[in-house]
Amino acid sequence: MNTATGYLDGLLQGQPPASALSWLNQLRANAVDRVAALTVPTTRDEDWRFTDISPLTKFSFQPAQEAQPLAPAAIEPWAIGEAAARLVFVDGIYAPQHSFNRSGIAVENLGAGFTSHAAAVQAQLGRLAAFERNAFAALNTAFLHDGALIVVPRELALAAPVHLLFIATRKHAASYPRCLIVAEPGSKLTLVEDYVALQDEAYFTNAVTEIALGANAQVQHVRVQRDGAEAFHIANCAVSLARSSRYHAVSVALGARISRHNLGVLLAAEGAECSIDGLALIGGRQLADTHTLIDHALPQCSSRQLHKCIVDGAAHAVFNGNIMVRAGAQRTDSAQSSRNLLLSGKARVDTKPQLEIFADDVKCAHGATVGQLDVDEVFYLKSRGLSETAARNLLTYAFGAEVIERIPVASLRQRLEASVLAQTEQRP
Amino acid sequence: MSTTLQNLVNQPYPHGFVTDIESDVAPKGLSEDTIRLISAKKNEPEWLLEFRLHAYRQWLKMEEPQWPNVKYPKIDFQAISYYSAPKPKKALASMDEIDPELLRTFEKLGVPMNERAKLAGVAVDVIFDSVSVATTYKAKLAEVGIIFCSISEAVHQHPELVRQYLGSVVPVGDNYYAALNSAVFTDGSFCFIPKGVKCPMDLSTYFRINTQESGQFERTLIVAEAGASVSYLEGCTAPKFDTNQLHAAVVELVALDDADIKYSTVQNWYAGDENGLGGIFNFVTKRGLCKGVNSRISWTQVETGSAITWKYPSCILRGENSIGEFYSVALTNHHQQADTGTKMVHLGKNTRSTIVSKGISAGHSNNSYRGLVRIAPTAAGARNYSQCDSMLIGEHCGANTFPYIQVNNPSAKVEHEASTSKIGEDQLFYFAQRGIGAEEAVSMIINGFCKDVFQQLPMEFAVEATKLLGLKLEGSVG
Repeated sequence: MNTATGYLDGLLQGQPPASALSWLNQLRANAVDRVAALTVPTTRDEDWRFTDISPLTKFSFQPAQEAQPLAPAAIEPWAIGEAAARLVFVDGIYAPQHSFNRSGIAVENLGAGFTSHAAAVQAQLGRLAAFERNAFAALNTAFLHDGALIVVPRELALAAPVHLLFIATRKHAASYPRCLIVAEPGSKLTLVEDYVALQDEAYFTNAVTEIALGANAQVQHVRVQRDGAEAFHIANCAVSLARSSRYHAVSVALGARISRHNLGVLLAAEGAECSIDGLALIGGRQLADTHTLIDHALPQCSSRQLHKCIVDGAAHAVFNGNIMVRAGAQRTDSAQSSRNLLLSGKARVDTKPQLEIFADDVKCAHGATVGQLDVDEVFYLKSRGLSETAARNLLTYAFGAEVIERIPVASLRQRLEASVLAQTEQRP
Repeated sequence: MSTTLQNLVNQPYPHGFVTDIESDVAPKGLSEDTIRLISAKKNEPEWLLEFRLHAYRQWLKMEEPQWPNVKYPKIDFQAISYYSAPKPKKALASMDEIDPELLRTFEKLGVPMNERAKLAGVAVDVIFDSVSVATTYKAKLAEVGIIFCSISEAVHQHPELVRQYLGSVVPVGDNYYAALNSAVFTDGSFCFIPKGVKCPMDLSTYFRINTQESGQFERTLIVAEAGASVSYLEGCTAPKFDTNQLHAAVVELVALDDADIKYSTVQNWYAGDENGLGGIFNFVTKRGLCKGVNSRISWTQVETGSAITWKYPSCILRGENSIGEFYSVALTNHHQQADTGTKMVHLGKNTRSTIVSKGISAGHSNNSYRGLVRIAPTAAGARNYSQCDSMLIGEHCGANTFPYIQVNNPSAKVEHEASTSKIGEDQLFYFAQRGIGAEEAVSMIINGFCKDVFQQLPMEFAVEATKLLGLKLEGSVG
């Protein structure tokens, strides 16, 4: 598709002004070069085989130049009571009036962090999320400006979560949020990355998150994507784990017309552990695509993954979970499970749990299931006096709740449980 | 994991001899003229020549596929001889007139071709290089109406059947190597089981590549009419050469209502030496069509040979209630590469499929399972169960699993499981405690690992396969 080449160039308009920092200008310029060289992926690319992103190219998206003023009450529905800090971004632009930081650590806009934490930012930014062959990551890097910077100092355990809230208010707006999280050795952090919308028209969110864990660090990362019904949401998340660090991710995808979440976890030192949980609950014409790569680069790491999709209407869920065990990564312990529930005749699931193993002393297993609700289970509930609909809704809810229950932030968990329950109850 | 395991894998290839038989070899290179030459040599009807030329023209437009997880130098299709046949002295009236040199070859290979065939109770069609040299037991099969002969013979004697089914499951333009095969195939087996007939014995084809720098492009077509059933065995070997040879076969199976086809392969083409020099490139398209209701196609394969194996025996489950099965053991050693698996395409209602794949990698080899389970919107009530287990021996090999699961119908139930393990020191220790040496222990563990597949093989093949794995892995554990 030649038109697609021009399309990416068109998106480059409205780039942030040149910075006083030469390394930042250089990084953006490198990214612009890659955007120019790359094209919008098509279904002929193996990585995008099941996800046709071409509807994106029917729109022209421009970044917002200033934040839309919002009343504090507009934010309230998404507030997380437990949060120690909150950063709010409206259409990708930092909104300080809605943000606060009571955590005592550095939680600030990336734009300010370029100078305040110059060393940490320069050392990490763009290192984990490679953009050489990834058009969307390159695009995000070209627009490097606003986003979250969190630096958790050595041996500091922050019990309360940090809430990053991204609100879409304008139609046909493009936002390029960029988050950099540095968890220094021995630190602990709970992070909530939350994408919400105040409108239902098409817009484009193209996010990149980079998380670097130092030795013995622990990060719990909750990602909630509840974008508007016509939104395009593309996210690249790259995580690197040092010795004996632990990373736990729960991502929940409920919204967007087309969403794509790439999660790359590099187990870069011995003893690192990760567990990755995901839930996509979609209906209508939605498409939710999750691609994960868990890269066991060194010995003695372990990984757990559970990914669930509940697909209704004519929706389409895609899951590609790659577990790579590199040569020499002995005593790797890895398990992956992809479970999919189809609720309607037009719903579709493409799942590909993938193992690539180049070491012999390893324990790796994966499993995948696709099916509908078990008739015996429905019958059991009916025999207890539930109606057919109530029984089915309860079972659907329970299927999704297994993932949601793993969210470590109580108020968010309860709210999501309620919204999943509401969504299943909408069904006739 | 040390020397015993290493030694276990380093067993010499016993079929590596070359038989000195005068061959009629076509000049190297591929062009429309080559195809006309093959067609003329085989005295083929016009429609078949057209079929070939059509395929060749499609092939010219196609590109060599790059997606498999295998690496090999680019194949020069002009450096291959596309036709090599043992020089015919005269038309053969009976088995006794076959070149004794040839018979000795097959005796060395342990293939029963003469009267021993009758004792063994297996009808054999033997393909030497590109040409079918002998088919045993033909008369007895003809009594019940079964046609079992070389495909060239079938072209002349049963043109209507060949014409009806050839290319009906694997169209000429299906993929690069299928198109090449359709253009230049020289021989293969043809088997037709008429309505209601249960084939009284196992049918078998033995393939051997003998000439250096020749390619083997055989074509097998099996048709089972309503209610018919057949069990078909295929074995392959080749001599040792330090150049790579191309083997690009096409196998088509058609099962009509209530028919049952069981297709078993023990593939032991020459795999190259321990440095990865030489060996066969085995790029094969195998596909079965369950056309009728309640039909069943079952593939069983034991893949131990070839420098590169690249094949996906598949089932198109079109008939309602039809069943597809795939049982596979793939063993790679030294520098062998295998990218193999299956495709189960569920189109009809209540179709069922089972996939059991066991991959064993040793040495510097790389073994990939690549499978597709597709449930079409029409396949209500479809059911699939897949299990892929890999075993790694040594730390320089790789085992990969690429299962594609595409479900488009909510009443379908699809399950996939995969695991990876190794032969543990503790397992070997347990055997040693019981007085069983490492080599025997490994052989027993591997046999246990592959049991689900071996159980599917006909008796003689199961014995051969068990021995073969033992030989192949000899010296790799310790």
